[in-house]
Amino acid sequence: MEADDLSLVARARAGEGEAFRVLVVRYQRKVYAVALGIVKDRDQAWDVAQEAFVRVHRGLDGFKGESSFSTWVLRIATHIAIDQVRHERASRRESVDEVRESDLGGAGDGILATSLGADPHANALRRELLGKIEEALAALPAQHRTILVLRELEGLSYEELAVRLEIPKGTVMSRLFHARKKMQALLRGYAGLGGDAGGPKDPQEEEGP
Amino acid sequence: MSRECLGFAPMLSARPGELGAADEEALRRHLAGCDACQARLADGAAAAGLVAEGLLAAAARVDLAPLADEVMARVGRRGLAGALRWLARHRAVAAATALAPAALALGLVLYFGGEADVAPLAGEVEVVAEGFAPVVLTGEEGPVVLLGEAAEGS
Repeated sequence: MEADDLSLVARARAGEGEAFRVLVVRYQRKVYAVALGIVKDRDQAWDVAQEAFVRVHRGLDGFKGESSFSTWVLRIATHIAIDQVRHERASRRESVDEVRESDLGGAGDGILATSLGADPHANALRRELLGKIEEALAALPAQHRTILVLRELEGLSYEELAVRLEIPKGTVMSRLFHARKKMQALLRGYAGLGGDAGGPKDPQEEEGP
Repeated sequence: MSRECLGFAPMLSARPGELGAADEEALRRHLAGCDACQARLADGAAAAGLVAEGLLAAAARVDLAPLADEVMARVGRRGLAGALRWLARHRAVAAATALAPAALALGLVLYFGGEADVAPLAGEVEVVAEGFAPVVLTGEEGPVVLLGEAAEGS
């Protein structure tokens, strides 16, 4: 039977290296995936994941188990990843947060839903798009990548996103809206349904989370 | 599409309970009469999970086995560094640790030194054996044996 996280943490805290290795192996895929989504570079994501686990080990004595071990690890990883992309700045902050009328003029609204169908897991197009997610995320501004990853992969709520990103809840909602809209436009493009895939992005929208 | 959509579009990705009751009710009423927002909602639902699934799939294509080794190697080094930091914080223990060899040496000297007092070597002793005449000198550094040829007839 597999040991649970807390008992492994206790053993690792007592100096049992193998227990900590089990925890690393157990969560390295998710930690790497979160890092990759935010920093968009595989080597950088590797470094972020490695640093996250080292910091986790350093902080074992302070881990009280108030949140789950996986939540704690992912929080540390996202902090490191966000720090890595903070230098991605832009002069037009409003472009990633404000919702304007022009943002709602998408002629493609609804096409993705129609094409992906009612049973997404049995859909060939969905499988094809899954292979494009890394590329699509890399085409988004850092703030959009970050909030999408935190929402989708970590499953954070609006309130948790507001705390983690240190922005108001209203900004969380509008930023998520923009991030999703751009992601959907890219996916429509990959699917040949009309969209932004492969198109030039506005470099001014690049900015830190 | 109406200007109302500007306010409601950001609410479309909310999970149950994330909006206040008033906002939820207002969104429900808006959706009932807005085809554009219904289409946006449907797109969001269709694409739900793609980011998470896609990233985990991308991570699964990477051989992450060396990552654990690298982490453990760094953690091991930190373990040693941590021990040194701990000693630095606990100077009394560090001092005791550092002085332990000296204390042990002192103890040995006192113990064996006491025995030496019982039968002290003093002066010069000459021993003749098989043609050699070892001369044992006792100085401050301890006994020194000098080997020399024995004198004829001795």
